[in-house]
Formats: sequence, structure tokens, C-alpha cells
Amino acid sequence: MIKTDLKYNSDHVNIVECHDISLFRNTNEVLFEASCCIPRNSLTFIVGENGTGKSSLAQTILGLLPVDDGSICLHSESNKKLILGYVPQSIDLPKHFQMTVSEYLKYSAEVQSKDIKDALAKVDFPLIHIESRITELSGGQLQKLLLAAELYRKPDVLFLDEPLANVDDASEKHIIDVILEIKNQGVTIAIITHDWQMVSSYADHVICLNKNFACTTSSSCVCKNSLSKVNIKNIQKVTPDPEHMHDGFCYIENI
Amino acid sequence: MEIIDMLSISFMQRAIIGCLLLAINFGLYGVFIIPRKMGFMADGISHASLLGIACGLFIGINPIIPAVLLAAFLGFLLASFADSPKVTSDGLIGIFLSGGMSGAIIIMTFMPGYRPDLFSYLFGNLLSIQNSDIYALAIFSIFTIIGFKKQWRALVISTIHIDLSRVINLPTTQSKYFLFISTSIGLILGVKLLGVILVSALLIIPVMIANQYATSFKSTLLITQFSGIFSALMGIILAYIFDLPPGPTIALLLVALFIFSILQTKLLK
Repeated sequence: MIKTDLKYNSDHVNIVECHDISLFRNTNEVLFEASCCIPRNSLTFIVGENGTGKSSLAQTILGLLPVDDGSICLHSESNKKLILGYVPQSIDLPKHFQMTVSEYLKYSAEVQSKDIKDALAKVDFPLIHIESRITELSGGQLQKLLLAAELYRKPDVLFLDEPLANVDDASEKHIIDVILEIKNQGVTIAIITHDWQMVSSYADHVICLNKNFACTTSSSCVCKNSLSKVNIKNIQKVTPDPEHMHDGFCYIENI
Repeated sequence: MEIIDMLSISFMQRAIIGCLLLAINFGLYGVFIIPRKMGFMADGISHASLLGIACGLFIGINPIIPAVLLAAFLGFLLASFADSPKVTSDGLIGIFLSGGMSGAIIIMTFMPGYRPDLFSYLFGNLLSIQNSDIYALAIFSIFTIIGFKKQWRALVISTIHIDLSRVINLPTTQSKYFLFISTSIGLILGVKLLGVILVSALLIIPVMIANQYATSFKSTLLITQFSGIFSALMGIILAYIFDLPPGPTIALLLVALFIFSILQTKLLK
């Protein structure tokens, strides 16, 4: 099971800290002694190539996957458990489960009937579909619905897996504005993405997973190269604890 | 007149109350079992429970007791292996079915002579319902409804997406065990009325009918309950009037309703 250590320390700069976490699926190594942190009230991006364990890292922090080794610390501001939110890139809905958009909001986030329209409007969800079945929504509409529910739950940390992958250009701008707005309200946001333009424009902090090269020693670091492509001049690669740096895991902050 | 006469007979009163309770319970299980593609579970558990029934008959105790214990254990196993990457649920149900039936047949070979009581368990029998069966069903229904009240949100969200349910910190695992174990026990409590062979019809078909018309979760629940209760009551009445076994009568009525719903919704389109 996940080894989470809930600490009540509002002064702690990091809201999430992973120490040497290892994760295996069957015998395949997904993460090996990975250490990283998510600073409080930051917009953190989790980047890396396919198969480097981005979603697994997020799901491990969320408690959805058990860690095989290491520990995860969640630093709560008050004497209560952190509220974690998660919007996956896509979900396979059961085809034969009839549920409307408004019912979904009521069940998943206990949204009051009077607040349903506001919750949906916040993420630019077309209100004409308020009584549509969730199985009939497009990928983008479903993602907006999931985001609306998670925002209503007022999470302390919100994980978004490719939040712009299925949405159109107009909604993209809207969702970015919403993300920045809730960040300004004090929510810590961690986004898994391949969108380097987005990373270069909005990142406070980047966690880059790289299976093949040690970014500390190799010039072929995927993160570094990709960030270079979008003309970021001042990439500062930091190894907070060199003893805990391992091949295949790089850690970049202060972009 | 015949219906009024029927209502004054005590075994029919028991059968009607029993069917009503079963239809309500099964309607609640079905709306979660069917979207999880676990409908085959109803057949697997009820057929496997024949082993418990055969054991009960062999050692001379109420056969429902070992059957309920066996069903609860199989429901527990099903919940335990639900997320297993190596043991698929439908495969496990197939093992329960063939294992349970085989065991029952072997035990029956040691029981000489014609056993009419065994046929009652296979196809259901209106006359076999005792007051104790109704009390057991009523108490179980109260526990089921309390359980559903506590687990409702977790059941709904984990049916849609299990990860979301876990992130919200809903009792996902607890609700899974509750659903599978209580469904398994409920199926066995319905065996005396509906029979091992056909008890699954009342769990599966009402939801299938509801899916043809429903546009929301609320309407799915209402239509499932309505079609289950209507078919169970009508089936009991027809079984009494035409002296038919209740299990097949209710199942045929449900199949007819399902075909009607398919034809009607196709025509409406």
C-alpha cells in the first residue's frame, strides 16, 4: 500500500514530497527510487516521453497505485486531510449506465441543483447538454465535465492529465484561464502534458521523467532539448539532493 | 373473483410478499451489476448454490442455510478477484458454476429415490414458501436497504469510474464487497420461489428493459423497479391461475416485456 505521511505544516514549501519511490507493474519497473516535490500553490508540469511513468507518478501520489518502496508526504495546511483532485485524460464509461450530466455532478461532487449551471459554465461546458447522458458526450465535453466536478470539490492539489488533449481552441484558452484563476485562489495544480508550449508559458515548476538518459550528465536529455525548442533561455536544472539522483530521473525547477 | 380467492390463501400471500421483496432487492442490485458486466454472476452463483442445497438435503438440514453460506463465500471470492489482472470475473463465475453443479450432482448420486423437493429448488414452488422464509427475506431486505443507503454514492461513482471513486475517498472496496455478497445471498433467498435455474432473470431482465427507455439514472431505477415488481406479481398470479411453476412464468413474462421494449423503441426511432 501507499506509504503516505500526512504532516500538518502550513509553512512547508512543498505540498507533496516523494522520497525514493519505486513502482513495479508485474516485473516491469515503472519508477525507480524517484524523488520529487510539488511546491505549494505552484503550477507544476509533469513531462516526459511516453512510458516514462508520468501518469503512474500522479496516480501513485493520488493513492491509486501502491508504491513498492519509498514514501510520499502530503503536507496539509490545517489539521485535516488534503483534498486531492484528479481529471484523467479519458475514462471508459460503462455503455449501459444511464446517467445525465447533472446527475454526475450531484453524485461525484455533491453539487447542489442551483449550482449546476455555474459549475458547468465555469469550464465552458455547453449548457444545452445539461440533461444529456454522459455516455453521449464527446471526449472534450467529458473532460470539461470531470474538471467541473473536481473544481467544485475545491481540492488542495489538482492533478490534470492532458487537460487540453480533447478540447477545441476556443475552450483551450478558457480552460487555461480557469487553471490560472484557481491557482491564484491557492490551489496547487499538477499537469501531465506533452504540450511544451504550455509548459514554457505557464510553468512554475517542472518534473521531468526520462527513462533513457541521465539529464544530469547527458546532453541528450529529452526535457532539456524539448524546452530548448521552445526557446526557454533560463532553464535551471537543480538536483536538490545529489545522493538521491538516479539515472533516468531528472528534476528541473525555476524555469 | 379468482384473484380475490387467491389473495385469501396464506401460501399465496407469502409468495406475493416474497416476490415483492425480491423484485425490490434485485432491482437495486441489477442497476449496478449489469453496467459492470457481471450479469452472468447471477447464473453462476445460483447454479453453484445447488451444491449447498444438495449438501443440506443430504445431511437433513434446511438446504437454504448451507446454500446462503456458500453463496456469501462465492460473492466474497468474486469481490476479492474483481480487480485481478490474472483471474477474469467471467472465468471465475464459470468455475463456480461448473464446480458447484458438479459437486451437487455427485452428492445427489448418493441420495437414492425420486426427490421432488429438488425440483422445487430448480424451478421454484409457490407452496414451498414458509413464514420463516418471508421473515428471513424481510430482515435481509432491511439490511440490504440500510447497506445501499450507506454505500449508494460509492456504488454509483465506482460503477462509472473506480479511480474517481478512490480519489474522492469513497469506500470503494467496502461497497464492492457489499454489492457482491448481498447480491449472492439475495439470489439464494429467491431460489425457493423462482428456482436455481431462473432466479437470475429477475436480476438481469428488468435492468435490460429499463435501458431501452431510461434517459437518466433516476429513470433507470424507477423503470427497473416497476418492470421487476410488475413481472413478479403478474407471474405469481398467472402461475397460480394456470398451475404453472412460478420461476419460468415470471422469466417468460420478463422476456416478453424485454422483446416488447426492444420492438417499441425500434419502432419509435
